[in-house]
Amino acid sequence: MDNKSEVKVLETKNISKSFGPVQALDKVNFDLNKAEIHGLLGENGAGKSTLMNVLYGLYKEDEGDIYLRGEKVDFNSPIDSIRNGIGMIHQSSTLVPEFTALENLILGTEGNKMTLELKEAEKKIKQLQDDFGLKFPLGTKVKDLPAGVKKKVEIIRAIYRGANILILDEPTTSLVEKEFEQLLKSLRKMVNNGVTIVFITHKIKEVLKACDRASVLTGGVMQGTVDTTNATKEDLVKLMFQNQEINITESAIPIIDVPEVEKSEKPVLSLNNLSAKSKEKDGTDLKSISFDIYGGEILGIAGISGNGQKELAEVIIDPNNITEGEIDLLGEKVNGLTTNKIFDRNVFYIPEDRKKESILGRGDIVNNVLLGHQREEKFQSNGIIKWKKVRDETQDVIKEYGVKTPDEKQQIGKLSGGNIQRVVIGRALINDLDLLVTHSPTAGLDMASVEFVFKRLVELRSEGTAVLYINEDLDELMEVSDRIGVIHEGKLIEIFNQDQYDKYEIGSKMIGG
Amino acid sequence: MAVEEKTIEENSNWQKFWNGFKPYILALVIAFGISGAIIGILGYNIPKAYQTLLFTSFSSQRGFVETLKKFIPLTFATYAFAIPFRIKFFNIGGWGQMLFGGTITAIVGIGLAGLNLPAIIFIPILILSAMLAGALFALIAGFLKAYYNINPIISTIMLNFIAFYFVNFVATNAPWKAPQSGHPMTLKLPEAALLPKVFNQIHFGIVLVILAIIAIYYLMNKTVLGYEIKATGINPDASSVYGIKMKKTLMITFLIAGAMGGLGGGIEVMGVHSRLIEGFALTSGAQYGIFGILTALICQGKPLGVPLSAMFISILLVGADAMQRTLQVPVELVFLTQAIIVLMIVVLRRQAGGSYIE
Amino acid sequence: MKGSVDVGQLTEMLTQIISYTSIYALASLGIVIGGRTGVFNISGEGIMLASASAGFIAAYQTGSWFMGFVVGALMGGLFALILIYIHEKLKISQFILGITLVILGTGLSDLLYKTAIGVQLFAPEAPRVPDIRIPGLSNIPIISAIFNQDVIVYFTYIAVFIAFYIFYHTRIGLETRAIGEDPKAADVVGINVKLRRYVTTIIGGMFMGLAGAYLPLVVTGTYTTNISNGRGFMAIGIAIFASWRPERALLGSFIFAAIEVISFQQQLGASMFPYQFLLMLPFISVLLIMWLFNKKVEFPAALGKPYSRE
Repeated sequence: MDNKSEVKVLETKNISKSFGPVQALDKVNFDLNKAEIHGLLGENGAGKSTLMNVLYGLYKEDEGDIYLRGEKVDFNSPIDSIRNGIGMIHQSSTLVPEFTALENLILGTEGNKMTLELKEAEKKIKQLQDDFGLKFPLGTKVKDLPAGVKKKVEIIRAIYRGANILILDEPTTSLVEKEFEQLLKSLRKMVNNGVTIVFITHKIKEVLKACDRASVLTGGVMQGTVDTTNATKEDLVKLMFQNQEINITESAIPIIDVPEVEKSEKPVLSLNNLSAKSKEKDGTDLKSISFDIYGGEILGIAGISGNGQKELAEVIIDPNNITEGEIDLLGEKVNGLTTNKIFDRNVFYIPEDRKKESILGRGDIVNNVLLGHQREEKFQSNGIIKWKKVRDETQDVIKEYGVKTPDEKQQIGKLSGGNIQRVVIGRALINDLDLLVTHSPTAGLDMASVEFVFKRLVELRSEGTAVLYINEDLDELMEVSDRIGVIHEGKLIEIFNQDQYDKYEIGSKMIGG
Repeated sequence: MAVEEKTIEENSNWQKFWNGFKPYILALVIAFGISGAIIGILGYNIPKAYQTLLFTSFSSQRGFVETLKKFIPLTFATYAFAIPFRIKFFNIGGWGQMLFGGTITAIVGIGLAGLNLPAIIFIPILILSAMLAGALFALIAGFLKAYYNINPIISTIMLNFIAFYFVNFVATNAPWKAPQSGHPMTLKLPEAALLPKVFNQIHFGIVLVILAIIAIYYLMNKTVLGYEIKATGINPDASSVYGIKMKKTLMITFLIAGAMGGLGGGIEVMGVHSRLIEGFALTSGAQYGIFGILTALICQGKPLGVPLSAMFISILLVGADAMQRTLQVPVELVFLTQAIIVLMIVVLRRQAGGSYIE
Repeated sequence: MKGSVDVGQLTEMLTQIISYTSIYALASLGIVIGGRTGVFNISGEGIMLASASAGFIAAYQTGSWFMGFVVGALMGGLFALILIYIHEKLKISQFILGITLVILGTGLSDLLYKTAIGVQLFAPEAPRVPDIRIPGLSNIPIISAIFNQDVIVYFTYIAVFIAFYIFYHTRIGLETRAIGEDPKAADVVGINVKLRRYVTTIIGGMFMGLAGAYLPLVVTGTYTTNISNGRGFMAIGIAIFASWRPERALLGSFIFAAIEVISFQQQLGASMFPYQFLLMLPFISVLLIMWLFNKKVEFPAALGKPYSRE
């Protein structure tokens, strides 16, 4: 931190980039000092990753110039940026799951390509692991490594390839508090060795904690750069949200008023010692899970991605891979019922991956509103769909949830993420619900949409609905959940009551501590 | 997020129509250009070749009837490919399903000959046998995909070969074999088992094909099943999450596809040849199944696009036969032209922002 | 097989099986190579037909078997180039392109033959492909089946070995396999995904082309309509059975060649069993083997999927 120099390690001038009609970056100027941790702050969809992908040579800018140590450079592929000492760790793993950590580390490196001699590389890598305190087994297949370890592999990979500018895209999404602090220590060691780090995040407190300077992007426009030593949360909020009136926490979560609500007497959903097989080949099986959710409460489920969250959500709406135990809905055993039968019992589901699992991207809004309801008496008789009824319902959803669209015939994939999620939520709430199962419903949404989603969840709770709210982001969970259960390797480790909330405590449970 | 709102494009209806139509016209121009060049290089008379190719169907009543005779089996073969194609599975087995449907029709028809059933009972029995046979034969592929993850492209092709040898077996063995015939064929079906002619010109299959077109349209657009098939086609993951099970939908589409193929084969036996005869599902030197694939790819398997594009291909096939007969231009040239048309349509539609992505 | 089989007959049959193995091995190796970068080229049947025709014509016109294989390989490479070019440019489904190319190849094969050679009273014969007899080994019964073969058979072994070595014992192979597993992961470490997809697909197509040319130049000695008779599709089955590993593709090819040769020979001899069912056997075996091994099959994770950065 002390040996900052005035030479700009990297500088961009007027970088613009659009995807089709969407302007992702608009004349962005950005610069890095040598050996600093530079935060790149902005809400989802602000263009942070796009800007960094341009610097990494993965995207080609439409306009503008990049200067590296004062010299203009032109990157057409990651190989160009890697050779110039830039390394990037993407938000989701870019390691080959079927290969070992070591194989992944040497992938694409220079050297004799007609052999597979790894001894020397291994030695060098072990040295780097020691230097920066980033230990992991080299011979294990990456698919068998936990998410936090994969991050370490990717960081070592970048350093091994000689990166002196290291870009980390939302590195904390798969890390718990303790891991984040360990990571910070390693990053500081690198900075002391002269490495410059870009730290992308949407959480203000991470910037304040980790960074020397921070630049703020909003809607593809650079709002400015601040020195974080003197900056406060309010300064950054102002930059991030300009004129919007939004009340957010340090973790960039809208502050929501969660009223007192009377819980139902009997649980809406009970899992009794439930074990279930994952439907996916490399999925996580559920092991002896027990919990109750009552009407009028939000039960949060915390955990590192891939520890059985998806399986937990799916076994409730499709209780068919159960190996042991039972699921009760309002006191009745539902093992073996089809999804449609479960939905008939006033249950609905909002999955994690919006584009992949929630919507029919090329379908219009009408067809999307019908999805999941297609076998209900309301919308069909004798197998013939009542299209008029579906269209009316769709128009109601559009009106009630404020979906911005020309009409109901609009292809849903062309709407913005926030508008898609409004349709998805509207669809879920067509019928009065006893139970809503939802997995990261706020992922990738801008702040206004996140607020919208939270308000709906809290409203549902007030109406007496039971909400199972799975989210990998602990900050978000703590904001609205009555209780938080921690899931790790398919097991429900512990359930915390609101008065026991502690990020360290819950975080260490999330990684099996 | 304000930026993303700009993605909503608004085109005038006319422009939309033209944008949708342009790739087809361009594809035809390019494909006919290439085939014209080949015709020229080979030393044939280009204008005459085109005239024969495109207008034989309309130059005489016979030409038109011939076109309809190709149109009927082709439409069924096209549906056989088009329906599983809606959920992105490739049923290359339309031909095998035709063969199997036709063979079972002949077996049942010959088997029931002694009962002297009236046509009004006999024909529906045979139609159902043909559909059932084709459906079950196709279901093998659907089942193997659903439960053993065997790619239908491979399984249906293997089933084609199996069906081919099955036809040969039935057509050359007692009790079905026709005595003293050089070419493998069975005995003639009883009179009451044969499809009557409508307007004294074309067999009853034309009515069946029209009924099939209406039924498929209704199924795909008005029913829950059709909705579930379409939803699965757009996004199998989301559909599965919301209770539309892939395995079931997959097998249903293969059942419907097989029923269509089988019926197409049965109609050829009952309406055209009056018996099972080896090579009955071939036209212009190739399998109806192959032309069905091309036809379906031209219209992306859309229910109402199928008859239109089947009519177009039928016209080309009749023209191709005539071209070979009168000008000695090899029929394979038209085959090639059709493949190029499809390739160009796929490419141009995609360039125009259409959806031919995986 | 009936009664005692004499060694001479067995050797002869084995010789034929090993020759047929080359057809399947070359074709499935072609599929495997492209598949390793995620490109699933299902147009093998079309390539084999077009290459059989073009290769035969070239060999017949020039009098050189070698030219036949060169032209066959080039034809295969051309088909593969069309596939990968359109796919990379527009991300159109590899399967749709593959099917269309099958049909294109089917049409093209007869058209080429009809225009270049036409109808002749006697089937024109291809120039002979020379045999190589390994001294010593080619005299031992049974074993000699392996060491008394035409040049292309030896070429096949070498090609399979080289492919195996490159994919599993070199860095370039590791990188190439990475593309088939996860093209994004390969891209971000600086591997040229597009270039390698082009190269492997085209090389793969050339191997399929060699398989096609092998049919008229070695197996039948002349060109006939539909000469590959579904083998291009069976090669896909072999590639799947082999989990996209070259050495296993060779094993699978041997199994299918054996089934084909044996069922064909039995069909000539036996009469107790309708011969049509014996002719069905190779096709039924594809289904059976895929069914039996479906749990053990591993696919390159990105197989058949388009990749683009944005």
